[in-house]
Amino acid sequence: MTLPEPARRIRVRPLTRANLSIQATLIGLTLLTVYSFTTFDSRNIELEQAVRDMFDNFRLLLLEPRLKNVSVLEMLHQLFVTAGLGLLTTIFGAIIAFFLGLLAAQNLAPRWLTDVIRGGTAFIRAVPTVLWVLFFAVSVGLGSVAAIIGMTFHSAGYLIKAYSESFEEIEPGVLEALRASGANWWQTIFQAVVPASASALLSWTFVRFEINFSTAIAMGATAGAGGIGFDMFMASGFYLDLRELGAFTYAILAFAIALEWGATRLKANLGPQRH
Amino acid sequence: MALLQVEALTKRYGGETLALDNITFDVEPGEFVGIIGPSGAGKSTLLRCVNRLVDISSGDVRFDGVSVPTLRGAALRRQRTRIGMIFQHYNLVNRLSVIENVLHGRLGYKGTIQGILGLYTEEEKRDAARIIESLGLSEQMYKRCDQLSGGQKQRVGIARALVQQPKMLLCDEPIASLDPNAAKIIMDTLSDINRTTGITILVNLHQVDVALRYARRIIGINRGRLVYDGEPERLSNEQIYQIYGSEAGDLILDLRERYAA
Repeated sequence: MTLPEPARRIRVRPLTRANLSIQATLIGLTLLTVYSFTTFDSRNIELEQAVRDMFDNFRLLLLEPRLKNVSVLEMLHQLFVTAGLGLLTTIFGAIIAFFLGLLAAQNLAPRWLTDVIRGGTAFIRAVPTVLWVLFFAVSVGLGSVAAIIGMTFHSAGYLIKAYSESFEEIEPGVLEALRASGANWWQTIFQAVVPASASALLSWTFVRFEINFSTAIAMGATAGAGGIGFDMFMASGFYLDLRELGAFTYAILAFAIALEWGATRLKANLGPQRH
Repeated sequence: MALLQVEALTKRYGGETLALDNITFDVEPGEFVGIIGPSGAGKSTLLRCVNRLVDISSGDVRFDGVSVPTLRGAALRRQRTRIGMIFQHYNLVNRLSVIENVLHGRLGYKGTIQGILGLYTEEEKRDAARIIESLGLSEQMYKRCDQLSGGQKQRVGIARALVQQPKMLLCDEPIASLDPNAAKIIMDTLSDINRTTGITILVNLHQVDVALRYARRIIGINRGRLVYDGEPERLSNEQIYQIYGSEAGDLILDLRERYAA
């Protein structure tokens, strides 16, 4: 006995509006890609030569790093200037964010206050750090002061959000228990909220330090804040020295890895103990 | 004079939901009162009205001669220091050691700065260590609370309440998260405290059998109303039905026959 032939082909994927629009988008993008490649203004660049040059530059950058215009000591000094800029702005931001973060946590502060602070910090975060630096440069001039104020501003905005969310994750019962024993608000904060959220605060602060470190490099190049960013700017834009640029890159990489290692160690010490 | 006087206590949540409906009872110093009733009956709310963790809608609660509903700020905190509280989920700061958690019970007596910095007097520390030892936790004194078992955590909770030198303990489902063995230790401990120090104890319980065995007075609550107040011996099966609603039925009766005899 044979099964009757199905009258129509069975479609595994039904032709819905969503599927149709995805397919239309993919076809459109494919057509656009083909079109743009055919109409490229290649300015008579030979592709083969260009690719070879590119790899040559990568080789200079990554495989033949060496210093020429600055000494090793000078480079380390500039690296620490940059790290210092990142650290200082992180610490300033963290101190401001700790207190405002408490007032932005819904389990610790009244609703109207958390709404006001959250709205304000959302605005601060929406504007990129670089724009804040340039904004403050209007009043204090381009340089390290503008960089510090601008980066502190954005760090605080970022950390207020991160801290207040960490505070909100605390078990409500713990706060209730301290309130029930007659503890006041500040005592509850420092005896329960801070110990319970310490490792979260620390890891957010480190994340921000990493961001601030890389922002500090960029600020050295663009806002005249000094540090290794400025040396990189000189090596690439002024001396056109890819080998020196490579040396700086490796120095920054080494520093970033050391930072990550230190952060992991510190967090392991604060985290729950394992047996 | 009664230590705790509850008069026509009513609590509304959001204007509509009636959590406590016109509850009146007195508690004499040294009593051990078990409050029973189904989940959501208002037992937890009742305890929290006594130390004003929740605000009271109407009626009066007087503790040791002080009217609670209008207390604010420092006066409210002073009142709270005299009432210890124990919770189902222990509510300890897991990251801190046992003794640090126990000393939290002293915060209400301290100034803000001393409390923030955790500066306790030698006397307070000695007192805390003595209570920890009396509850059999001396070996755990410097352990972090996340390394303790449930029963040990609850004993830390009791120690934190005792270090307040309270006149009364409010216990909100103290054994609901514990295994039977640990539960017995906790209930025996509470009973001991009540007997040896004369601290009044109000304990919310899910388990009728435990309430009948330990409490010397039972308060039954159903849907925010006080439906029984009296000795455990006089609590009839019909009244248990009334407290828990008809569906509880057989299980409770079985338990009652086994334990209350």
